[in-house]
Amino acid sequence: MDDDNTMPELAAVRDQWVGVEFDWTTFEMSAENMVAWAKACGETDPRFIDPSHHDFQAHPGFTTHCMSGRVFPKEFPQIGGGFGIDGGKRVEVRAPIRSGDTLTATTTIADIFEKTGRSGTMIFIVQRMEFRNEAKDLVSTVDWKMIKKAE
Amino acid sequence: MSAITRFEDLEIGDDLPGESPDVSMPRVTAFCHAAKHVFERFIDHEAARREGFAAAIVPGIMSQGLLASMIHRWAPGCEILEIDTVFRGSLLVDSEITMTGAVTDTDDDALIAELDLAIVAEDGRTGVIGTARVQFEQ
Repeated sequence: MDDDNTMPELAAVRDQWVGVEFDWTTFEMSAENMVAWAKACGETDPRFIDPSHHDFQAHPGFTTHCMSGRVFPKEFPQIGGGFGIDGGKRVEVRAPIRSGDTLTATTTIADIFEKTGRSGTMIFIVQRMEFRNEAKDLVSTVDWKMIKKAE
Repeated sequence: MSAITRFEDLEIGDDLPGESPDVSMPRVTAFCHAAKHVFERFIDHEAARREGFAAAIVPGIMSQGLLASMIHRWAPGCEILEIDTVFRGSLLVDSEITMTGAVTDTDDDALIAELDLAIVAEDGRTGVIGTARVQFEQ
């Protein structure tokens, strides 16, 4: 159930900030890191651990380690308590990421909402990074759910 | 259940073979270097305890990667279209964790399976839950 005391403020923050782009960063994809990541995750499929494989590509969640330059937009209001915790990641794989690709990531606030459970009311802020290769193809979308306790 | 090579062999309710992946300190440290996430809470038990954890913890994004690898072993050649994980609790480095998965839905026209996923810690707590959509070859 939503908390009536915080909803109006949160609704205003949502209206103002959801969909706003606030960071643009580039990342170089190296075969060495792609292989090391996949092997550390216990991967055995040669598509992900053998750079000589004809379909060599990054592991599905490889872009989750790419951090935007800012966590929040400039002038984003302080909502909830503290910095928050990492509530999880959702990855959409749109196309293979190849060794040598330079990816450009655009970061937006994708959603802001709250939920109430045993731990009280928590605020969820979803930061979305969309990664495009040099051909401008969307290759990966990562949603990062930050959870903060409502004050 | 053994590896799935054909979509036709799938049934809703099928379980993926459970796995206990390697989350030893050397393996987690290797991941942290590949991810450029070299933080003490992941690679140093004592430092993690000073931060209030029971021991060093497995990075959330590594737990997602472990689940992806399990899916690739279960369905060789498949493509993971989407994987969504919720980090509910800490998984400790140098502990025994167990990954499970099950088929919850199928799209027979698109050859896509939907999965529920989970990782359970050594003490029985559920550390990660999630879902995935997996594309099979035509």
